Amino acid sequence: MFAKVLIANRGEIAVRLIRGCHELGVRAVAVYSEADATAPHVLLADEAVCVGPAPSAQSYLDIDRIVDAARHTGADAVHPGYGFLAENAAFARAVEEAGLTFVGPSAEAIAAMGDKVAARRRVAAAGVPVVPAVENVGDSAELAHQVESVGYPLLIKAAAGGGGKGMRIVRVGSELESAFAAARREAQSAFGDGRLFVERYLERPRHVEVQVFADQRGRIVHLGERECSIQRRHQKIIEETPSPALTPELRERMTTAALAAARSVDYANAGTVEFLLDQDGRFYFLEMNTRLQVEHPVTELVTGIDLVHAQLRVAAGERLWLRQEEIVARGHAIECRVYAEDPAHNFLPSPGVVRHLREPDGPGVRVDSGILPGYAVPLHYDPLLAKVSVWAETREAARRRMRNALSNYVTLGCTTSIPFLLDVLDHPAFAGGDTHTHFIEEHFPQWRGREAHRLIAAIAAAIDSTRPTRAATGGETAVAASPWTSLGHWRLGQG
Amino acid sequence: MRIVFRHRQDQLSLDVHPEAGKYRVVVDGDEHIAEAHYLDDATLLLLVDGRRYRVDIARQGKEHLVAVDGEVYTFAPESAAAAHHVAALASPEVIAPMPGKVLQVLVHAGDHVDTGDGLLILEAMKMENRLLAEAAGSVDEVRVAAGDMVEGGQVLAVLRYDEEAAS
Repeated sequence: MFAKVLIANRGEIAVRLIRGCHELGVRAVAVYSEADATAPHVLLADEAVCVGPAPSAQSYLDIDRIVDAARHTGADAVHPGYGFLAENAAFARAVEEAGLTFVGPSAEAIAAMGDKVAARRRVAAAGVPVVPAVENVGDSAELAHQVESVGYPLLIKAAAGGGGKGMRIVRVGSELESAFAAARREAQSAFGDGRLFVERYLERPRHVEVQVFADQRGRIVHLGERECSIQRRHQKIIEETPSPALTPELRERMTTAALAAARSVDYANAGTVEFLLDQDGRFYFLEMNTRLQVEHPVTELVTGIDLVHAQLRVAAGERLWLRQEEIVARGHAIECRVYAEDPAHNFLPSPGVVRHLREPDGPGVRVDSGILPGYAVPLHYDPLLAKVSVWAETREAARRRMRNALSNYVTLGCTTSIPFLLDVLDHPAFAGGDTHTHFIEEHFPQWRGREAHRLIAAIAAAIDSTRPTRAATGGETAVAASPWTSLGHWRLGQG
Repeated sequence: MRIVFRHRQDQLSLDVHPEAGKYRVVVDGDEHIAEAHYLDDATLLLLVDGRRYRVDIARQGKEHLVAVDGEVYTFAPESAAAAHHVAALASPEVIAPMPGKVLQVLVHAGDHVDTGDGLLILEAMKMENRLLAEAAGSVDEVRVAAGDMVEGGQVLAVLRYDEEAAS
């Protein structure tokens, strides 16, 4: 096993990885930007290195500075987490060239799956079903003609991307040109690569993905599926396992396809093969994420396998000890992502200062958190604050446990998606397992939030205001709530 | 003691009378008996008319932030909020919700916009955010251009609502 691992990430995932290292007796080195000097992952690590100013391009995305930090601190491996450099083949290569181990697949496998166009071709050749698509879409002049074979509705995607950036749905030909321009801009700024491709857009599909895990000698297993259909802005907010839609027979076919996709690039370490599952039970390869997934906790909860430990062990050269027939999923797990965003205003990021934080606990409840009381959520990064995961014997028991856990998750000072998540959990369609990727647009087109307890809250505020101001929670910040307050007042004109 | 809060568009007036360890609170002519037990500075057990609530509370500047059963409220003391409110109605401003970069300005001064029309595209936190007109009106002034970096709270454009919309 390694003696020291550098964690090339921030937020809740860096915290989770540092914990994993410590549990294995490995020392952890954090990197941080100037905006994150007192962030939770920095406080938890054994050593911490500042790698640059707040913008991620000059810190968390700066390959040279991160590799230097690993070298100077004497780390023998680098774990990239997810996002940032996790799927950057040049980073994996730079780490290996510095004589260190990259905790993840080979640079070749990352590159092969990172180019979404090439990946699609490669897995199709391996017998994995793919959605009808057109690659390398060109200029707007030829655009309408080029996409004819795909048909509407269609989806524009970034060839280099993931995570919803650079994605646009086009339902009629007249929207094609402006959607294309916006997608290209977003892809260019997010990935430095404006190449796009177009594919047929499936109506009300489920997002179902398979966790695979391999050692460096080609031994590979799957750890079952996760369903991540509840998405906003094409990003997942609720994930669960098992999927309510899968029969044992369908699970067998999907996991077999996932293993074939992974083998097509000689995959090593943890990876996820994503599929869309249509209403008729047909599934199509979406992409392979060559890293640990945000939603990995639900798989850990039902299988009992610690994916971070497993990642570190195979990266250190250990043979795969897991046997497929011994991997058994038990019960049901659900994860909810808690974002600093305002679900009543189109899920816009809503940074602020965490004035007060109370996290849920109790049996079967797990919180992966990247925040602390007093923490100012930086504007520069993804607004994911924490993940709440629950395990229970059945889906319904897990749903109720999650409902209870989220009602006991309180942040003040920073608007979060929690009230919205509660309403999704309560929705009969969610309770019935009738989930698909358009769930939010379909069931919550104009969500404004419940205000059932306003009188109680006002009484509490009135009583509290008769007490002297407390220094601990006082003070003003420039960004906190004022812009939204302004926007809220501006909305008055609706009359 | 009279306490007046603004919550969104509404004004709430509460008369709070401490009485023998409890509070008699009158809201809209209804009387409520409340008891507050602080578990710590931010958490209190509140009993109102015999029902129990666990309430989390914090202050942000002059505002009171309150969470009850997964719902979060921001109450502003009336005096400060009222001034802001009147100013906002007289001159509806398009305000940057957060720092970012203006990618595109979709309107010009003098344009007429309908509810839901796009005004500007702002890139912030790695996403493109389209700022929309919340009521029909005309564009009085555009204060930024594509490529500008803007601060959170900065006024990007000024609208003038049509008369029926502002009433």
